[in-house]
Amino acid sequence: MSKQVTFKSASEMPMIAVSSGDMEWNKTGTWRTQRPFYEDKTPPCSAACPAGNDVVAFIQKIVQEDFEGAWNVIQEENPFPGICGRVCFHPCESKCNRGSFDEPIAIHALERFVADFAVRLNKKTGNAGEKRKEKVAVIGAGPAGLSCAYHLSKLQYPVTVFESFLFAGGMLRIGIPSYRLPRDVLDREIKQIEALGVEIRTGVSLGENLRLEDLRGYQAVFIATGAHRSRGLDIPGEKSRNILSGLDLLRKINLNKKVMLGEKIAIVGGGNTAIDVARSVIRLGKKAILLYRRSREEMPAFEDEILEALEEGVKMRYLVNPIRVGQKDGLKRLECLRMELGEKDESGRRRPVPILHSNFFIDVDRVIVAAGEEVEFSVFPKGMEKREGIILTQKDGSTGVKGIFAGGDLTSTQRTVAHAIGSGKKAAMAIDAFLKGKNTEEAMIQNLIGGGPSLSIYGYRHPEERLRNSHVVTFDELNMDYFEPAKRQGESKSAVKERIKGFKEMTFTLSDGVAIEEAERCFSCGTCNECENCYVFCPDASVLKSEEMLSHQVDYDYCKGCGICFTECPRGAISLQGETR
Amino acid sequence: MKKVITGNQAVAYGVILSRVDVISAYPITPQTTIVEELSELIASGRLKTKFLKVESEHSAMAALIGASTGGVRTFTATSSQGLAYMHEMLHWASGARLPIVLVNVNRALGAPWNIWGDQSDSVSQRDTGWIQLYCENNQEVLDTILQAYLIAETVRLPVMVVLDAFVLSHTAEPVDIPGIEEVDSILPPFCPDYPIDTQEPKAYSGITTPDYFMEFRYKVQKAMEEVPKVARKVDDEFRAQFGRGYGAIERYGKEGAEVLLMTSGTVTSTSRMVVKKMVEQGVSVSGIKVKRFRPFPTEEICETIQGAKKIAVIDRNLSVGVGGVFAQELRASLYSREEKPQVFGFISGLGGRDITPDLIEEAIRYTMEHDRPEEEILWLGLKK
Repeated sequence: MSKQVTFKSASEMPMIAVSSGDMEWNKTGTWRTQRPFYEDKTPPCSAACPAGNDVVAFIQKIVQEDFEGAWNVIQEENPFPGICGRVCFHPCESKCNRGSFDEPIAIHALERFVADFAVRLNKKTGNAGEKRKEKVAVIGAGPAGLSCAYHLSKLQYPVTVFESFLFAGGMLRIGIPSYRLPRDVLDREIKQIEALGVEIRTGVSLGENLRLEDLRGYQAVFIATGAHRSRGLDIPGEKSRNILSGLDLLRKINLNKKVMLGEKIAIVGGGNTAIDVARSVIRLGKKAILLYRRSREEMPAFEDEILEALEEGVKMRYLVNPIRVGQKDGLKRLECLRMELGEKDESGRRRPVPILHSNFFIDVDRVIVAAGEEVEFSVFPKGMEKREGIILTQKDGSTGVKGIFAGGDLTSTQRTVAHAIGSGKKAAMAIDAFLKGKNTEEAMIQNLIGGGPSLSIYGYRHPEERLRNSHVVTFDELNMDYFEPAKRQGESKSAVKERIKGFKEMTFTLSDGVAIEEAERCFSCGTCNECENCYVFCPDASVLKSEEMLSHQVDYDYCKGCGICFTECPRGAISLQGETR
Repeated sequence: MKKVITGNQAVAYGVILSRVDVISAYPITPQTTIVEELSELIASGRLKTKFLKVESEHSAMAALIGASTGGVRTFTATSSQGLAYMHEMLHWASGARLPIVLVNVNRALGAPWNIWGDQSDSVSQRDTGWIQLYCENNQEVLDTILQAYLIAETVRLPVMVVLDAFVLSHTAEPVDIPGIEEVDSILPPFCPDYPIDTQEPKAYSGITTPDYFMEFRYKVQKAMEEVPKVARKVDDEFRAQFGRGYGAIERYGKEGAEVLLMTSGTVTSTSRMVVKKMVEQGVSVSGIKVKRFRPFPTEEICETIQGAKKIAVIDRNLSVGVGGVFAQELRASLYSREEKPQVFGFISGLGGRDITPDLIEEAIRYTMEHDRPEEEILWLGLKK
């Protein structure tokens, strides 16, 4: 410490004004009006992920070349990285802050990379271990049911899944063509769930050979039976002319059943199922004409899928609406009206309006209708409220019947794999809280990612580690001085003429090098990745390290609150607040 | 080894031979080629010196203050506006007793813009506590760099080595480049007085109350007063090693002449020729070259001017409102003497205008023909 020195003459004094002790007595922290502190915030990708994946965390593991660590991170929230990496429509990427700089991170490709790495490593989930005494039944072995079973099993509940088909997977197996999701990927990820100790009983159908009353031995039930009834067009001739639904066709193809189609096939609809059907038809060596009543802009199918369908030779006829199915010379004759776009409807898209006397005919061998799916309500008990085509649930996924929870396509109009996985996870949390007599809604609210709606079950299982602030980091909060433009590294695709030969997967998993390169583009929004800018810039040496790592502590005895660490943090992982003293 | 090199290259050789550890500089004409040469050597890996890129001359000097405090040998070069921009850091460097060496290639200060030779930039830094050494030719440039480190590190004061724009900086002359072993034998590594040691942290040049500030300034002055003696010793040793020496001033021409001509920088070379010619014609005239401007060589000058009646000073600079700075300094030096020769203050060659032999002769003849100057400032070669 310092001691006061008095000099009597210049000759006693040193050459320059230099302290003889250190200056630690001078606690410059008292000058501070602003206090910096480390606070990880929510990246927009995670906030946008319906399955609640911790995207930044697994990408940073890839940067560190810890692919196994990345796999472990994903497994905390989502048992299906191989599936999601292939079929999810990746809303995370549309919210990625890097999109405001150059191009978003190819998150889906990285997720798939990690999943496929786990295969290389022969990575297996072990048995979840000692079981609790409460048993849970899950009805429906689709992504929602399996996600719920997976998380409940990790929470140590014995879980039985009842599935009406003779195999697990639900829509993943019967609804998604294998060129998008190869069966071995699906089988592998389902097997991982079974390896935890989850029992899947197939060929058991609710309302047929299973009644809810049979499940009295289970303390909670999660119903995720999906939406499997195809909507029709409700036009004359539809019933009598052997019109096939899109889902029926996909099911037949996926189950390797024989389908007699003819040569020229019309597909009615503009959603993802319609595109899947049209591209499958092309792969069967037939001609596909897609009829959609609005224009390309309003098509609900994902843009990439539409582009690929066009590449593969699917013909699109926009602003066309079939009004009758007839027959001529052994062909189906579709009478159609031309449409034009009118005012916006409640979905925000412009409503198709028929043009009078614009009738014309399209002659085809087969008509396939892909106009959406509905829930089959008849099997559900009275206490479960239904409205606008879905089963109504509370925020925690509970239904009007105590102990019965529901999720997946059954309870939502946002019918994607990621939403289903998320709702299964939510139900697992709610069921655990319910069985432990906790307030289920509170448990949900405490674990919302970035304020919701997605949830973190990792946070639920590790309440002591609640690190991230729910604030979702915006582009403006990042410091672009530290990033250089870098090209997005996507997956390569096989050539169109190879693609249309069959149902083989058409994209390729990233190589290690490319995956690391792509992961390095990640801004790591709101999440400290030890870049040490704060440590380097702090003029008061008040950013502390323990051993070689940042300790994420500030030495407030000396920190003057200049805010340089806050400004120079490239990723918004440091916050600044006014001093209250 | 003799090589035909420019003044700026001579600076670079001086820096290399001095084993400088840290260079920090910002480009400005006519200095630029000095650090260009050095940075290329560093970039190619041939010179193991750390080059700190900075965004201004102020930062360049600030960076060297840090590096020098850390205990390493440092160098920068600048000109004109760049030197002016460093001004506050120049004070700091001397106050903190850091033996930094700076080369200033004289250039006029704007406005209006001008890139040619004019000493106004360096003479305006006379109160910053820096030693200032002016050079006449490229050999002297190289030698002065080596001497500068020896002087600076002995008295713990920074040194500014000054050379003329283009006439020296960009003009090639034969220069004898010493071998590095020879230089090593006279220039030992720099040993700092208060080195930075992370195990024993110190605060440097922190706030100092009126109780002690004056004593620190007194010490700076005392160190400056040591310079004549130290510089003489350095020059003697240098002469012994390399056979070349410069002194604080140099007297040439007719001994015992009543009329003297005082110059600094490259004008001296021209003056030598003019004086020689006039002496041959029977004129009693003699020249004084001033190499060391700070501390001003009062003692050496007073010794050499015994018997002189008149001194003509050609200043390639102008302290507006007063006149030439060398003339002012000379007048101040003479004031306490009984015998006071008349000082004729000529201003010439501002903004790089040539100071020709005819102009120099005109100045000498004017001085001979007048008992006292008709005006305080005598403009030489001005288009009136």
